[in-house]
Amino acid sequence: MSNTNITKEEIAALYPKVADIMADALGCDVDRIKPDSSLIGDLGAESIDFLDIVFRLERTFKVKIPRGKIVEEARGSLSEAEFERGGVVTKAGVEQLGFFLSEVPAERFGSPLRVADIPRLFTTETFCKMIIRQQRAAAGTAPA
Amino acid sequence: MDPHFRAFSFVDRITSFESGDRIHGEYLIPSGLDNFTASLVAEAVGQLAAWAAMATVDFKRRPVAGLAGEIVLLHPVRPGQRLELAVDLDTVDLDAASYAGTAHADGIPVIRLRHCVGPMMAVDHFDDPEALRARFELLCNEGAVPGGFGGVPALPLERIEDEAGQRAIAILRVPAQGDFFADHFPRRPVFPGSLLINASMELAAALAGEMPAPAAGGSWALRVISDVKLRAFTPPGSVLEIEARLNQLSPQAATMSVEARKGKRVISGVRVGLAPEDRA
Repeated sequence: MSNTNITKEEIAALYPKVADIMADALGCDVDRIKPDSSLIGDLGAESIDFLDIVFRLERTFKVKIPRGKIVEEARGSLSEAEFERGGVVTKAGVEQLGFFLSEVPAERFGSPLRVADIPRLFTTETFCKMIIRQQRAAAGTAPA
Repeated sequence: MDPHFRAFSFVDRITSFESGDRIHGEYLIPSGLDNFTASLVAEAVGQLAAWAAMATVDFKRRPVAGLAGEIVLLHPVRPGQRLELAVDLDTVDLDAASYAGTAHADGIPVIRLRHCVGPMMAVDHFDDPEALRARFELLCNEGAVPGGFGGVPALPLERIEDEAGQRAIAILRVPAQGDFFADHFPRRPVFPGSLLINASMELAAALAGEMPAPAAGGSWALRVISDVKLRAFTPPGSVLEIEARLNQLSPQAATMSVEARKGKRVISGVRVGLAPEDRA
Protein backbone atom coordinates (compact mmCIF):
# COMPACT_ATOMS: atom_id res chain seq x y z
CA MET A 1 0.00 0.00 0.00
CA SER A 2 1.64 3.28 -1.02
CA ASN A 3 1.26 6.97 -0.52
CA THR A 4 0.37 7.54 -4.14
CA ASN A 5 -2.39 10.08 -4.64
CA ILE A 6 -3.10 10.82 -0.97
CA THR A 7 -4.00 14.45 -1.45
CA LYS A 8 -3.73 17.40 0.86
CA GLU A 9 -7.49 17.73 0.60
CA GLU A 10 -8.04 14.17 1.82
CA ILE A 11 -5.76 14.78 4.77
CA ALA A 12 -7.40 18.13 5.54
CA ALA A 13 -10.82 16.47 5.59
CA LEU A 14 -9.73 14.05 8.31
CA TYR A 15 -7.35 16.24 10.24
CA PRO A 16 -9.73 18.07 12.64
CA LYS A 17 -11.26 14.83 13.91
CA VAL A 18 -7.89 13.10 14.16
CA ALA A 19 -6.49 16.05 16.11
CA ASP A 20 -9.50 15.97 18.47
CA ILE A 21 -9.00 12.27 19.09
CA MET A 22 -5.31 12.69 19.77
CA ALA A 23 -5.96 15.57 22.16
CA ASP A 24 -8.55 13.48 24.01
CA ALA A 25 -6.24 10.49 24.22
CA LEU A 26 -3.28 12.57 25.38
CA GLY A 27 -5.30 14.75 27.73
CA CYS A 28 -4.04 17.94 26.15
CA ASP A 29 -5.53 20.98 24.51
CA VAL A 30 -6.27 20.40 20.82
CA ASP A 31 -4.37 23.61 20.04
CA ARG A 32 -1.18 21.76 20.98
CA ILE A 33 -1.73 19.27 18.16
CA LYS A 34 -0.22 20.34 14.82
CA PRO A 35 -0.06 18.37 11.55
CA ASP A 36 3.66 17.83 11.99
CA SER A 37 3.58 17.25 15.76
CA SER A 38 5.61 14.16 16.50
CA LEU A 39 3.67 11.97 18.89
CA ILE A 40 6.59 11.14 21.11
CA GLY A 41 8.94 14.07 20.71
CA ASP A 42 6.45 16.92 20.69
CA LEU A 43 3.46 15.46 22.49
CA GLY A 44 5.15 13.16 25.00
CA ALA A 45 3.14 10.08 24.00
CA GLU A 46 4.00 6.68 25.46
CA SER A 47 3.24 3.24 24.05
CA ILE A 48 -0.11 3.10 25.87
CA ASP A 49 -1.04 6.38 24.19
CA PHE A 50 -0.27 4.89 20.79
CA LEU A 51 -2.64 2.03 21.53
CA ASP A 52 -5.25 4.47 22.83
CA ILE A 53 -5.02 6.66 19.73
CA VAL A 54 -5.09 3.74 17.30
CA PHE A 55 -8.14 2.14 18.92
CA ARG A 56 -9.99 5.47 19.08
CA LEU A 57 -9.22 6.13 15.42
CA GLU A 58 -10.41 2.64 14.49
CA ARG A 59 -13.72 3.15 16.31
CA THR A 60 -14.29 6.60 14.89
CA PHE A 61 -13.38 5.90 11.28
CA LYS A 62 -14.55 2.25 11.25
CA VAL A 63 -11.25 0.93 9.93
CA LYS A 64 -8.68 -1.52 11.22
CA ILE A 65 -5.18 -0.12 11.55
CA PRO A 66 -2.74 -3.04 11.42
CA ARG A 67 -0.61 -2.19 14.45
CA GLY A 68 1.92 -4.90 13.93
CA LYS A 69 2.26 -4.22 10.20
CA ILE A 70 2.93 -0.50 10.05
CA VAL A 71 6.67 -1.04 9.68
CA GLU A 72 6.02 -3.82 7.16
CA GLU A 73 4.01 -1.36 5.07
CA ALA A 74 6.71 1.26 5.41
CA ARG A 75 9.17 -1.20 3.81
CA GLY A 76 7.27 -1.00 0.54
CA SER A 77 8.92 -3.22 -2.07
CA LEU A 78 12.12 -3.73 -0.06
CA SER A 79 12.68 -7.10 1.55
CA GLU A 80 13.26 -7.24 5.28
CA ALA A 81 16.97 -7.79 4.69
CA GLU A 82 17.13 -4.79 2.35
CA PHE A 83 15.25 -2.60 4.82
CA GLU A 84 17.08 -3.32 8.04
CA ARG A 85 20.08 -5.14 9.44
CA GLY A 86 20.53 -5.95 13.07
CA GLY A 87 17.61 -3.71 14.00
CA VAL A 88 19.07 -0.69 12.18
CA VAL A 89 17.40 0.70 9.07
CA THR A 90 19.65 0.56 6.00
CA LYS A 91 20.36 3.52 3.74
CA ALA A 92 17.87 2.15 1.21
CA GLY A 93 15.42 1.62 4.06
CA VAL A 94 15.73 5.21 5.24
CA GLU A 95 15.12 6.40 1.68
CA GLN A 96 12.02 4.20 1.41
CA LEU A 97 10.87 5.37 4.83
CA GLY A 98 11.30 8.98 3.76
CA PHE A 99 9.01 8.31 0.83
CA PHE A 100 6.42 6.45 2.93
CA LEU A 101 6.50 9.04 5.70
CA SER A 102 6.74 11.99 3.33
CA GLU A 103 5.00 14.18 5.89
CA VAL A 104 7.85 13.82 8.37
CA PRO A 105 10.50 16.56 8.13
CA ALA A 106 13.71 15.08 6.71
CA GLU A 107 15.84 16.28 9.61
CA ARG A 108 13.94 13.96 11.98
CA PHE A 109 15.33 10.86 10.24
CA GLY A 110 18.31 10.46 12.52
CA SER A 111 21.29 8.28 11.68
CA PRO A 112 21.58 5.51 12.61
CA LEU A 113 17.84 4.94 12.72
CA ARG A 114 16.72 1.89 14.70
CA VAL A 115 13.62 0.02 13.55
CA ALA A 116 12.26 0.27 17.11
CA ASP A 117 12.47 4.05 16.81
CA ILE A 118 10.39 4.33 13.64
CA PRO A 119 7.19 5.10 15.63
CA ARG A 120 9.01 8.12 17.07
CA LEU A 121 8.76 9.65 13.59
CA PHE A 122 4.97 9.44 13.42
CA THR A 123 3.05 12.70 13.30
CA THR A 124 -0.61 13.64 13.32
CA GLU A 125 -0.53 13.61 9.54
CA THR A 126 0.94 10.10 9.58
CA PHE A 127 -2.21 8.88 11.29
CA CYS A 128 -4.41 10.72 8.82
CA LYS A 129 -2.64 8.89 5.99
CA MET A 130 -2.96 5.53 7.78
CA ILE A 131 -6.72 6.01 7.97
CA ILE A 132 -6.97 7.03 4.32
CA ARG A 133 -5.01 3.94 3.24
CA GLN A 134 -7.25 1.67 5.29
CA GLN A 135 -10.40 3.37 4.02
CA ARG A 136 -9.19 2.88 0.46
CA ALA A 137 -8.27 -0.74 1.13
CA ALA A 138 -11.71 -1.38 2.59
CA ALA A 139 -13.33 0.24 -0.43
CA GLY A 140 -11.08 -1.68 -2.81
CA THR A 141 -9.66 1.52 -4.22
CA ALA A 142 -6.00 1.17 -3.19
CA PRO A 143 -3.80 2.88 -5.76
CA ALA A 144 -1.69 0.69 -8.00
CA MET B 1 -3.11 -21.85 51.75
CA ASP B 2 -1.40 -21.12 48.43
CA PRO B 3 -2.61 -17.67 47.35
CA HIS B 4 -2.08 -18.45 43.65
CA PHE B 5 -5.44 -18.36 41.85
CA ARG B 6 -7.12 -17.47 45.16
CA ALA B 7 -5.99 -14.22 46.68
CA PHE B 8 -6.88 -11.99 43.71
CA SER B 9 -8.75 -14.20 41.29
CA PHE B 10 -12.36 -13.45 40.44
CA VAL B 11 -13.46 -16.11 37.97
CA ASP B 12 -14.70 -19.41 39.46
CA ARG B 13 -16.03 -20.94 36.29
CA ILE B 14 -16.07 -20.39 32.56
CA THR B 15 -19.48 -21.42 31.31
CA SER B 16 -18.95 -20.84 27.61
CA PHE B 17 -16.10 -19.77 25.34
CA GLU B 18 -15.93 -19.08 21.62
CA SER B 19 -12.27 -18.47 20.92
CA GLY B 20 -11.53 -14.88 19.96
CA ASP B 21 -15.20 -13.94 20.22
CA ARG B 22 -17.23 -14.32 23.40
CA ILE B 23 -16.79 -15.78 26.86
CA HIS B 24 -19.13 -16.19 29.84
CA GLY B 25 -18.20 -16.98 33.42
CA GLU B 26 -19.25 -16.84 37.03
CA TYR B 27 -17.81 -15.67 40.31
CA LEU B 28 -19.30 -16.19 43.77
CA ILE B 29 -18.46 -13.23 46.01
CA PRO B 30 -17.39 -14.73 49.35
CA SER B 31 -20.11 -14.09 51.91
CA GLY B 32 -17.72 -13.31 54.74
CA LEU B 33 -16.41 -10.10 53.17
CA ASP B 34 -17.37 -6.65 54.42
CA ASN B 35 -17.94 -5.45 50.89
CA PHE B 36 -17.04 -6.02 47.24
CA THR B 37 -16.31 -2.80 45.44
CA ALA B 38 -17.29 -1.86 41.90
CA SER B 39 -13.61 -1.84 40.95
CA LEU B 40 -13.37 -5.51 41.91
CA VAL B 41 -16.45 -6.28 39.81
CA ALA B 42 -14.68 -4.55 36.91
CA GLU B 43 -11.57 -6.59 37.75
CA ALA B 44 -13.64 -9.78 37.49
CA VAL B 45 -14.83 -8.80 34.01
CA GLY B 46 -11.26 -7.95 33.03
CA GLN B 47 -9.97 -11.27 34.33
CA LEU B 48 -12.56 -13.16 32.28
CA ALA B 49 -11.40 -11.20 29.24
CA ALA B 50 -7.80 -12.09 30.10
CA TRP B 51 -8.62 -15.80 30.17
CA ALA B 52 -10.20 -15.53 26.74
CA ALA B 53 -7.26 -13.58 25.34
CA MET B 54 -4.66 -15.95 26.77
CA ALA B 55 -6.48 -19.00 25.47
CA THR B 56 -6.80 -17.40 22.03
CA VAL B 57 -3.02 -16.97 21.75
CA ASP B 58 -2.23 -20.36 23.33
CA PHE B 59 -1.01 -18.84 26.60
CA LYS B 60 1.97 -17.17 24.98
CA ARG B 61 0.92 -13.69 26.01
CA ARG B 62 -1.47 -12.15 28.48
CA PRO B 63 -3.23 -8.78 28.59
CA VAL B 64 -2.47 -6.38 31.37
CA ALA B 65 -4.72 -3.54 32.48
CA GLY B 66 -4.33 -0.64 30.10
CA LEU B 67 -7.33 1.31 28.91
CA ALA B 68 -11.03 1.44 29.68
CA GLY B 69 -13.10 3.83 27.65
CA GLU B 70 -16.12 3.68 29.90
CA ILE B 71 -17.17 1.83 33.05
CA VAL B 72 -20.79 2.43 34.00
CA LEU B 73 -21.60 1.69 37.63
CA LEU B 74 -25.18 0.42 37.56
CA HIS B 75 -25.80 -1.24 40.90
CA PRO B 76 -23.75 -2.17 43.97
CA VAL B 77 -23.16 -5.83 44.77
CA ARG B 78 -23.17 -7.66 48.09
CA PRO B 79 -20.99 -10.41 49.48
CA GLY B 80 -22.66 -13.73 48.86
CA GLN B 81 -24.01 -12.77 45.44
CA ARG B 82 -23.02 -14.68 42.34
CA LEU B 83 -21.68 -12.55 39.49
CA GLU B 84 -22.57 -13.59 35.96
CA LEU B 85 -19.77 -12.26 33.79
CA ALA B 86 -19.81 -11.79 30.02
CA VAL B 87 -17.16 -10.47 27.66
CA ASP B 88 -17.27 -9.79 23.94
CA LEU B 89 -13.81 -9.73 22.45
CA ASP B 90 -13.27 -7.26 19.64
CA THR B 91 -9.68 -8.06 18.72
CA VAL B 92 -7.05 -10.33 20.16
CA ASP B 93 -3.55 -10.43 18.76
CA LEU B 94 -0.02 -10.56 20.12
CA ASP B 95 -0.04 -6.79 20.74
CA ALA B 96 -3.38 -6.12 22.39
CA ALA B 97 -6.76 -7.46 23.37
CA SER B 98 -9.81 -5.22 23.14
CA TYR B 99 -13.17 -6.05 24.61
CA ALA B 100 -16.43 -4.98 26.19
CA GLY B 101 -18.06 -6.72 29.12
CA THR B 102 -20.81 -6.80 31.70
CA ALA B 103 -21.55 -8.27 35.09
CA HIS B 104 -24.96 -9.19 36.46
CA ALA B 105 -25.94 -10.27 39.96
CA ASP B 106 -29.28 -11.97 40.56
CA GLY B 107 -30.19 -11.06 36.99
CA ILE B 108 -29.60 -7.33 37.60
CA PRO B 109 -26.91 -5.59 35.54
CA VAL B 110 -24.32 -4.18 37.93
CA ILE B 111 -21.53 -2.95 35.68
CA ARG B 112 -20.87 -2.33 32.02
CA LEU B 113 -17.42 -1.90 30.48
CA ARG B 114 -16.78 -0.59 26.97
CA HIS B 115 -13.73 0.08 24.81
CA CYS B 116 -11.29 -1.77 27.05
CA VAL B 117 -7.79 -2.50 25.77
CA GLY B 118 -5.16 -4.63 27.43
CA PRO B 119 -1.63 -4.52 26.02
CA MET B 120 -0.41 -8.07 25.58
CA MET B 121 2.85 -9.06 27.27
CA ALA B 122 4.87 -12.26 27.48
CA VAL B 123 2.91 -14.48 29.84
CA ASP B 124 5.96 -16.13 31.40
CA HIS B 125 7.03 -12.77 32.83
CA PHE B 126 4.00 -12.98 35.07
CA ASP B 127 3.12 -16.63 35.66
CA ASP B 128 3.82 -20.19 34.61
CA PRO B 129 2.09 -20.70 31.23
CA GLU B 130 1.37 -24.34 32.02
CA ALA B 131 -0.18 -23.45 35.36
CA LEU B 132 -2.39 -20.97 33.55
CA ARG B 133 -3.33 -23.52 30.93
CA ALA B 134 -4.26 -26.05 33.60
CA ARG B 135 -6.27 -23.46 35.50
CA PHE B 136 -8.15 -22.53 32.33
CA GLU B 137 -9.06 -26.19 31.79
CA LEU B 138 -10.31 -26.40 35.36
CA LEU B 139 -12.40 -23.25 34.98
CA CYS B 140 -13.92 -24.58 31.75
CA ASN B 141 -14.81 -27.92 33.29
CA GLU B 142 -15.69 -28.50 36.94
CA GLY B 143 -14.79 -24.95 37.98
CA ALA B 144 -12.74 -23.72 40.91
CA VAL B 145 -13.73 -24.04 44.55
CA PRO B 146 -15.18 -20.63 45.38
CA GLY B 147 -14.34 -18.52 48.39
CA GLY B 148 -10.61 -18.07 47.97
CA PHE B 149 -10.63 -14.27 48.12
CA GLY B 150 -10.29 -12.99 51.67
CA GLY B 151 -10.37 -9.29 50.91
CA VAL B 152 -7.56 -6.77 50.57
CA PRO B 153 -5.96 -4.77 53.36
CA ALA B 154 -7.30 -1.32 54.08
CA LEU B 155 -5.64 1.24 51.84
CA PRO B 156 -6.24 4.57 53.57
CA LEU B 157 -5.76 7.81 51.72
CA GLU B 158 -3.81 10.46 53.62
CA ARG B 159 -5.08 13.86 52.54
CA ILE B 160 -2.21 16.29 52.24
CA GLU B 161 -3.62 19.23 50.37
CA ASP B 162 -6.96 20.46 49.18
CA GLU B 163 -9.11 23.29 48.01
CA ALA B 164 -12.46 22.31 49.45
CA GLY B 165 -14.77 21.07 46.74
CA GLN B 166 -12.29 21.86 43.95
CA ARG B 167 -9.19 19.76 44.39
CA ALA B 168 -7.91 17.07 46.72
CA ILE B 169 -4.49 15.47 46.95
CA ALA B 170 -3.79 12.36 49.01
CA ILE B 171 -0.98 9.90 49.56
CA LEU B 172 -1.58 6.19 48.98
CA ARG B 173 0.97 3.88 50.53
CA VAL B 174 0.94 0.63 48.59
CA PRO B 175 1.63 -2.29 50.96
CA ALA B 176 5.02 -3.92 50.65
CA GLN B 177 3.49 -7.34 51.13
CA GLY B 178 0.15 -8.99 50.76
CA ASP B 179 -1.42 -12.22 49.62
CA PHE B 180 -2.84 -10.47 46.58
CA PHE B 181 0.68 -9.78 45.30
CA ALA B 182 1.37 -13.52 45.18
CA ASP B 183 -1.59 -13.87 42.82
CA HIS B 184 -1.07 -10.62 40.91
CA PHE B 185 1.31 -11.84 39.70
CA PRO B 186 3.37 -14.80 40.93
CA ARG B 187 6.46 -13.88 38.90
CA ARG B 188 5.98 -10.11 38.96
CA PRO B 189 4.05 -8.73 41.93
CA VAL B 190 2.36 -5.45 41.03
CA PHE B 191 -0.36 -3.40 42.69
CA PRO B 192 -3.57 -4.22 40.82
CA GLY B 193 -4.78 -1.45 38.57
CA SER B 194 -8.31 -2.00 39.85
CA LEU B 195 -7.22 -1.17 43.41
CA LEU B 196 -5.49 1.98 42.17
CA ILE B 197 -8.65 2.98 40.32
CA ASN B 198 -10.65 2.23 43.48
CA ALA B 199 -8.43 4.59 45.46
CA SER B 200 -8.95 7.22 42.76
CA MET B 201 -12.71 6.74 43.04
CA GLU B 202 -12.55 7.03 46.82
CA LEU B 203 -10.73 10.35 46.57
CA ALA B 204 -13.25 11.54 43.98
CA ALA B 205 -16.08 10.56 46.33
CA ALA B 206 -14.44 12.42 49.20
CA LEU B 207 -14.08 15.53 47.03
CA ALA B 208 -17.70 15.18 45.93
CA GLY B 209 -18.71 15.26 49.59
CA GLU B 210 -17.20 18.75 49.83
CA MET B 211 -19.00 20.12 46.78
CA PRO B 212 -22.29 21.98 46.91
CA ALA B 213 -25.12 19.44 47.02
CA PRO B 214 -27.04 18.66 43.83
CA ALA B 215 -29.95 20.98 43.03
CA ALA B 216 -32.46 18.30 44.00
CA GLY B 217 -30.77 17.79 47.35
CA GLY B 218 -29.13 14.66 48.64
CA SER B 219 -25.60 13.75 47.72
CA TRP B 220 -23.46 13.01 44.69
CA ALA B 221 -22.83 9.46 43.52
CA LEU B 222 -20.18 8.16 41.13
CA ARG B 223 -21.92 6.88 38.03
CA VAL B 224 -19.39 6.58 35.23
CA ILE B 225 -15.64 6.10 35.13
CA SER B 226 -14.16 6.96 31.74
CA ASP B 227 -10.87 7.41 29.89
CA VAL B 228 -9.11 5.07 32.29
CA LYS B 229 -5.44 4.81 31.40
CA LEU B 230 -2.82 2.86 33.33
CA ARG B 231 0.66 3.88 32.21
CA ALA B 232 3.01 1.87 34.37
CA PHE B 233 3.16 -0.94 36.86
CA THR B 234 3.21 -0.06 40.57
CA PRO B 235 5.57 -2.27 42.59
CA PRO B 236 4.83 -3.25 46.20
CA GLY B 237 5.84 -0.61 48.72
CA SER B 238 5.34 2.31 46.32
CA VAL B 239 4.16 5.66 47.59
CA LEU B 240 1.72 7.34 45.24
CA GLU B 241 0.21 10.78 45.17
CA ILE B 242 -3.37 10.91 43.93
CA GLU B 243 -4.96 14.18 42.84
CA ALA B 244 -8.65 14.69 42.14
CA ARG B 245 -9.80 17.84 40.42
CA LEU B 246 -13.31 19.10 39.78
CA ASN B 247 -13.67 19.90 36.06
CA GLN B 248 -17.32 20.80 35.70
CA LEU B 249 -20.20 21.29 38.07
CA SER B 250 -23.84 21.89 37.26
CA PRO B 251 -26.92 21.40 39.44
CA GLN B 252 -27.42 17.89 38.00
CA ALA B 253 -23.98 16.62 37.07
CA ALA B 254 -20.29 16.90 37.88
CA THR B 255 -17.09 15.61 36.30
CA MET B 256 -13.70 15.17 37.83
CA SER B 257 -10.31 14.02 36.65
CA VAL B 258 -8.14 11.94 38.97
CA GLU B 259 -4.47 11.26 38.42
CA ALA B 260 -2.05 9.04 40.34
CA ARG B 261 1.66 9.82 40.29
CA LYS B 262 4.80 8.21 41.61
CA GLY B 263 7.17 11.11 41.95
CA LYS B 264 6.82 12.98 38.68
CA ARG B 265 5.74 9.89 36.74
CA VAL B 266 2.03 9.72 35.98
CA ILE B 267 0.87 6.18 36.74
CA SER B 268 -2.83 6.41 35.98
CA GLY B 269 -5.60 8.77 34.98
CA VAL B 270 -9.38 8.52 35.07
CA ARG B 271 -12.35 10.77 34.54
CA VAL B 272 -15.28 10.42 36.90
CA GLY B 273 -18.86 11.36 36.14
CA LEU B 274 -21.16 12.06 39.09
CA ALA B 275 -24.91 12.44 39.35
CA PRO B 276 -27.33 12.97 42.23
CA GLU B 277 -27.76 9.80 44.24
CA ASP B 278 -31.02 7.99 43.56
CA ARG B 279 -33.16 8.28 46.60
CA ALA B 280 -35.94 6.00 45.35
